Amino acid sequence: MAEKGRYKWPLITIIVIVAALMLVIAIGFTIGFLSENPDGLERVLIDYYGEEWLENLYSPWIPFLSWITNDYVAGIIGTVLSIALLMGTFYLITRLKKRKLE
Amino acid sequence: MHIPDGLLDPITTIVLWIVTIVIMILGYFRMGRMFEKEDSEKLIPYIGVLAAVIFAFQFVNYPVPGGTSGHLVGGTLVAIILGPWASVIVLFLILVIQSLFGDGGITALGANAFNMGIIGGLIGFYIVVLFIKLLNKTSLKKELKVTISTAIGSYIAIVLASFICGIEIGISGTIPIEIAIPAMVFWHLLIGIGEAIISALIVFYIYKTKPDFITTESILGMK
Repeated sequence: MAEKGRYKWPLITIIVIVAALMLVIAIGFTIGFLSENPDGLERVLIDYYGEEWLENLYSPWIPFLSWITNDYVAGIIGTVLSIALLMGTFYLITRLKKRKLE
Repeated sequence: MHIPDGLLDPITTIVLWIVTIVIMILGYFRMGRMFEKEDSEKLIPYIGVLAAVIFAFQFVNYPVPGGTSGHLVGGTLVAIILGPWASVIVLFLILVIQSLFGDGGITALGANAFNMGIIGGLIGFYIVVLFIKLLNKTSLKKELKVTISTAIGSYIAIVLASFICGIEIGISGTIPIEIAIPAMVFWHLLIGIGEAIISALIVFYIYKTKPDFITTESILGMK
C-alpha cells in the first residue's frame, strides 16, 4: 500500500501532463498560439545560407525515431522515454551513492 | 538552440564533449546530499514528473516576432528544483532522447549539453543565487524572491548560452563569428522572455503546491 501511495500522485500528474500536452498540440496550431517557425539557431543559419543548405547538412547518422512524424505519437513516446531514462538513471545514482556510504 | 550534426568542426565538437563529460562526472560526486539520504528514493517518481514536464514543454513552440519560435529549455528550472549539478545530467539525458527524434545532433550532444545543461543549468542557477542575495535585502515573500530570481536567471542563462553557441559556430567556421554572435544573441533576447515566464510560473506553482519539491532552498539561501 505504501508503494502504491508513493507512486499514485506522480503517476496521476504524468498522465495529466501528457493529456495537457496532447490538448495543447491539438488546439495550439488550430488557433495559432503554437508556431512551426524555425528556432533561434535555425533562423540564423537560414538567414545566412538559406533553407536548402540547412536541410542538406551532412549528418553521420540517421536518428532512430525520425520516422515518427505525428506530433501526438512523438509526444507520448518521447515523454515515456524521458521518464524511463531519467528515473532509471537517478535510481542508479541514489543506489550507488548509498552503497558508497554503507 | 539545438545544434545539428555537421555544424561544428571536429575539434570544437571533441573539446565540448570532453568538458561536458568531465562536468557530468564532477556533477555525480558533487550532487546534493539529498541523493544519499535514506529516503532519497522518494525523489525518483518526482524526477519522472519533472522529465514529463520538461519534455512536454520543449514540445510547445511559441511564436516569436520576426519569424522564429522558442520553447522552454528548462536548465535553470531543473537546477532550482534538483540542484545545479543534477541539472547537467538531467538536461544531457533529455537531449539524448531529443537527438533520437532528430532534434539536435548526436555528435553535437556534447555541445548542446554544454550550452543548455552547463550554461543553462549550472551557470543559470548561480545567477539565480546572486539575485536572491540581492532580493534578500527587500521585504518580499520567499516565493516571490525565488520566482523573480528564476525569471531573471533563466533569461540571462538563455542569452548567455546563445552567445556561447554563437562563438562555437563562429570558431567552427560555419558563419563568421562577427555575424554569428550578434544574430544568435538578438533572437534569444526575444526567445528568452518565454523561457523566463514559463520557468518562473512553474517555480511559483511548485512553491504554492509542493514547496518541499524545491530541494535547493539551503543553497539558494532561503533556509
